[in-house]
Amino acid sequence: MRRLLPAGLLLAVLALLPPLLPERHLATFVLLALAATVTVGVSLLMGYAGQVSLGQASFYAIGAYTAGLLAVHGVPPLLGLLAAPVIAAVAATLLGAPLLRLRGHHLAFATLAVQLILLSLLAQADWAGGAIGLQGIPRFSVGGFEVREDLGYAYAAGLVLMIAVLIARNVIESRAGRGMRAAATSETAAAASGVAIGGYRLAVFALSAAFAGLAGGVYAFYLGYLAPGSFPVLLSIEFVVMAVVGGLGTIAGPLVGATVIVLLVQLLNTLGTQPGMPDYAPAVLSYAVYAVVLIVCVLYLPRGLVPAARAAVTRLTAPDHV
Amino acid sequence: MAGRKGDPMSDLVGYLVTGLGIGAGFALVASGLVAIYRVTRVVNFAQGAFAVLAAMLAASLLGAGVPHGLAETGGVALGAITGLLVGIVAIGRPGTSPGTSLIVTLGLGVLAYAVEILIWGDQPRSYPGVPGVAELAGARLQAHYLLIIAVTAPVFALMAWFFARTDLGRALSACASNRYAAQVVGIDVRRMGLLAFTIGGALGGLAGVLTTPVQQVTFDSDVALIVNGFAAAVLGGLTRPVVALAGGLLLGVAQTLAAGYGGGAYQVEVALVLMLTVMIVQAARTGPVAETAR
Repeated sequence: MRRLLPAGLLLAVLALLPPLLPERHLATFVLLALAATVTVGVSLLMGYAGQVSLGQASFYAIGAYTAGLLAVHGVPPLLGLLAAPVIAAVAATLLGAPLLRLRGHHLAFATLAVQLILLSLLAQADWAGGAIGLQGIPRFSVGGFEVREDLGYAYAAGLVLMIAVLIARNVIESRAGRGMRAAATSETAAAASGVAIGGYRLAVFALSAAFAGLAGGVYAFYLGYLAPGSFPVLLSIEFVVMAVVGGLGTIAGPLVGATVIVLLVQLLNTLGTQPGMPDYAPAVLSYAVYAVVLIVCVLYLPRGLVPAARAAVTRLTAPDHV
Repeated sequence: MAGRKGDPMSDLVGYLVTGLGIGAGFALVASGLVAIYRVTRVVNFAQGAFAVLAAMLAASLLGAGVPHGLAETGGVALGAITGLLVGIVAIGRPGTSPGTSLIVTLGLGVLAYAVEILIWGDQPRSYPGVPGVAELAGARLQAHYLLIIAVTAPVFALMAWFFARTDLGRALSACASNRYAAQVVGIDVRRMGLLAFTIGGALGGLAGVLTTPVQQVTFDSDVALIVNGFAAAVLGGLTRPVVALAGGLLLGVAQTLAAGYGGGAYQVEVALVLMLTVMIVQAARTGPVAETAR
């Protein structure tokens, strides 16, 4: 029961919330669910495998371009969507084999470099639309049924998020998950106890890339247009912010982190586009929110919102000790 | 770019000098990273922001009629002050680990975006540097590149003198080689860390004001600067300023050569692939597990 309750709650929210939302908020819901999907992977990577990736948006981009390019060339959308996580995971495995020898800030900069290389290559690749972007991606369809409304994409994004959460939970509770948690604390100790660290690290890297790729696939069909500019380095940083703010090493963390950040940014965006506000206000406010929330969280709530909230609940419900 | 087409030798000289000029900018960013990392073990992700802020301020001052030299000095001063502020937030709280500080500086880099857009907007900015075209061994290139080289060389000489010969510089170097021993002999390690951040800020600011005339600056130029700076610094394990200088120059030359002979494409990739290769080779040599680095 304890195991099923949170998953059931999430399922209920993802199933019941979209129809209640007005049209203009559905877009936020879709992007939130996709960001949360990527963040589940980032949190797994940072919290359980102890690796910082500042290039997670590259796998989001790889998934999106995979789905988009296949669909543009007439491959059935469902096949394109399924190929997105596979190609992203394959790319992560090929890149990870050499890169995961690196640790800490070296790995952070290496993943950042990978994303800059990918963006530069995409901007020069005429077959992928170059800097202008890939246009005319058809809407998602299965067996002649075409998904046109935002509501359909809200369910698709919710389904994708649910899949990522369930897989992540099963990985964490597996033997491999325990090994990884040990390795994140002390690699030497874990290796000495017989944890196959290298393999696990690569597997988590590939899995997190697959989550990002799957989310990217939905993104491609939802927007119908992709450009290198849709996947800036800042997007990668946003995923890290969401993961850190929510709390690494929990399943609820990335969901809470993504929700808090997206809603805050959305709120400030509404505020910034009020009449009388200067036209740079939305950009300034959203950058400031990312920065301040990240810094305050890291310095004062280093374990993130979810663990901090849990600790507070435990303190409140526990009998008083004088 | 430089060079009269048709004469391979003067093309090459032009690319080399231009590359050294661009590389000097990377080297300054890299040396700022090194100055901070040596003392605090923090990789300062906001290093590129110092350059952008300094360049933006210099552009505004020049636009307001402040003469050259004074405007650039103002930019460098802003870089130094920003460096100090970043240092206070990043390492000011006792017990902040270097990994945490890295994430904090990442956040401060994003915060700088908000400040920059608020004050200067999101359009690229530039200002004229040394006017005209210089002729060197038959190669024609923007004279400003020579100024970048001419300023960077004495700055590195001054730094070498400062770290080796002055009391303050030697106290910094002492913190770099052994924090505990430095504390024992009465050096305030935290204050030295803040000093390192200030120096790093000034060096970043100098890189910004020097390179802006040949390379426009936008609020998000910092990503390219920090990545190239890190690439240069990582050659020397982030602790050796001289290697960072060599690394920066090498990167600059590699990029202009790639741009010159590769037709403009793939110059970004050259630098980044070089950096990845260096890091992977270093990791292979020192072994994959280096827990102290975290």
